[in-house]
Amino acid sequence: MHTEAIDPPGIAWQRVSSKYVTVRLVEWALANLVTVLVLSAPLVFVLLGWWRWPPLWVAVTVPAATLLVALWRLVLIPRQVRAIGYAERDDDLLVRSGIFFQRTMAVPYGRMQYVDIAVGPVERGLGLCTVKLHTASPGTHARIPGLPAAEGARLREQLAARGEARLAGL
Amino acid sequence: MTTGDPLPGTQALPPAAASQETEGAPDGEWLRVHPASPFVRGWVALAAILFFFGRDLFERTLQGQPVFEDGFARRAPWLLGGGALVLAVAVLGFVLTWYFTKYQVSGGYVRVNTGLLFRQHRQARLDRVQAIDIVQPLLARIFGLAELKFEVADAGESAMRLAYLRIGDARQLRATILAGASGAAASPGTAPAAGVDAEAFAGPGGTSAAAYFGPRVPEAPEFPVLSVPPSRLIGSLLLSEQSFFIVVGGFASVLLSALTDNRAFYFYLVPAALGLAAGYWNFFNKGYNFTAAVSPDGIRLRYGLLDTQAQTLPPGRIQAVKIAQPPLWRPFGWYRMQVNAAGYGTSGNAVEGNTRTILLPVGKLGDVMAMLSLVLPDPGTEKPAAVFAAGLSGRDSDGGFVTTPRRARLLAPLAWRRNGFAATDTALLIRSGRWWRELVLVPHQRTQSLALHQGPLARRFRVADLVLHTTAGPVAPRLTQAGLDEARQLFDEQSARARLARKRQTTEQWLLQVVPAVEPAPVPAPPAPGAPLAGAQPSGTPAIEARTHYQQEGQQHG
Repeated sequence: MHTEAIDPPGIAWQRVSSKYVTVRLVEWALANLVTVLVLSAPLVFVLLGWWRWPPLWVAVTVPAATLLVALWRLVLIPRQVRAIGYAERDDDLLVRSGIFFQRTMAVPYGRMQYVDIAVGPVERGLGLCTVKLHTASPGTHARIPGLPAAEGARLREQLAARGEARLAGL
Repeated sequence: MTTGDPLPGTQALPPAAASQETEGAPDGEWLRVHPASPFVRGWVALAAILFFFGRDLFERTLQGQPVFEDGFARRAPWLLGGGALVLAVAVLGFVLTWYFTKYQVSGGYVRVNTGLLFRQHRQARLDRVQAIDIVQPLLARIFGLAELKFEVADAGESAMRLAYLRIGDARQLRATILAGASGAAASPGTAPAAGVDAEAFAGPGGTSAAAYFGPRVPEAPEFPVLSVPPSRLIGSLLLSEQSFFIVVGGFASVLLSALTDNRAFYFYLVPAALGLAAGYWNFFNKGYNFTAAVSPDGIRLRYGLLDTQAQTLPPGRIQAVKIAQPPLWRPFGWYRMQVNAAGYGTSGNAVEGNTRTILLPVGKLGDVMAMLSLVLPDPGTEKPAAVFAAGLSGRDSDGGFVTTPRRARLLAPLAWRRNGFAATDTALLIRSGRWWRELVLVPHQRTQSLALHQGPLARRFRVADLVLHTTAGPVAPRLTQAGLDEARQLFDEQSARARLARKRQTTEQWLLQVVPAVEPAPVPAPPAPGAPLAGAQPSGTPAIEARTHYQQEGQQHG
């Protein structure tokens, strides 16, 4: 898979912490298990004989399919986390993500308007943080999740310093 | 440009600093907007009240009820008293709002204070002003008033407004702000915004705004470039995409009602037709009498039938340009141009945002080229006419475009020969669409960030998309389905080019960058812009004339 990646060749990618998999797992569980539970409610009702309408096969198929998709995504999570990478080049920061739908983004330091660090509850527990970069363009959704807190702080300082040095107007 | 260039502007900095010092006293005079403005603003409220009462009366008469209920006479004094109170409070509110709205231009900043209970002080650096509009709603126009609206990049909220000023004062203020924004005021030596001398800056004038700004910065001269005749505007509206869908929808509903024998369809058509008429009227009203002119402080766009608007768009502030041609326009050779400018995309409601981003509602090839020569003074290529023409209507490798490789033609069976890019020294051109033709230009120094995208299908065909991020607006530059190697190479080259272009651009004051490119400069400058375009486009000559004026201005003062 990585042989045909769209990244520019010869980049030494910094990978994010493998603990970030846990964060993704929690997010996955919250989102998907709730969905599957809600979708299986009709099945329970139909089995109990309270509801007549959804035929049994529909009541079974919908949550089953959702569960399958959810499991598929679960299997992908570790690989997706491994696919996240960033590289500090001389004039821009490269951020890549995705395995099926890959994205490689270059954000010039001089274009960064501000850099955020966001920490969610699970991330805090694991000592991780997410660095978000903002330019004047709403299209720049550059975020590097799953950084160890120290690395996140370092990166932010580094980016701020480099941005200051190369600041350009709009 | 780099600071090392022997520019008159850089040498002329000391007097400018001095002038700013004299002018920049923090207690520079605070001015109020025109006293009539609360009423011009409040007329909408008044109209709304009248409308509600009027509708009530109208419905009552329709239903055959008496216009006034029984016992109305008894309650009349109370109602009248209440109404008067509400009116008085409203008027007082408007007057107080007016009283507390003050503005000041000094020391390189423009400040606007508003608010009675919740006071708001906003200030913006003049050199961060991105664009400036003079808006005249019908009523304000009758009274000779105008609203000044300017977009500022470093304010969180985009637009700052001043409503209403006398039209003359508004123009003066615009000239002052633009002179500051373009760098003309800071460097009288280079300034084509004629007559900005330190002398005039020295002392504040009288108390009225006209006297205050009057002697300082005369309005920059402007030269008309193009105008859109009403007939062409109407034609473009009739042949627009929405008209096509309307005709199709109309046919479908008539057919349906005929087939199902259901007359009710016709009744739905009436309000739909009314809504459409309103929509078309809106377009017509906004696009009527569209003229573009060039002046040293930017591109002036004027339009409007009842409500008129004059936009000034400094060329250095344009982030991206899109030239589009719907299929129905092709026989007439019409194009539409839209721009992304900082602040435009996010401001106000969608309709307003839409009109303001239109650089040319409908124009012929010559008009497009003329506009392009303004937007991109330095096309960065030897034969811009050929390259742009190839971008507009060419396919395959005309004009040096690189298209989707043949192996990926299944992904875009019609458009693969058009989807492509070309890079000049100053801008990246992305063209797409076989039927809905589009050409997007992004100046290199305006690229914010860029990304490569690739989905599973694209990977199968070894292609990738390249997305350039610019400020919010109607233009979303995306190069679709470029060959993987080309895309990767472009990604690298584009990062490098954007970096170089940014290094060259060191100041916020765009005129300081534009002028050296225009003048027959001492630096080995690229070929004089506009001139290479001349051969290809007969109707582009006004632009060229304007440009020569531009040069003369620069030389006179330089």
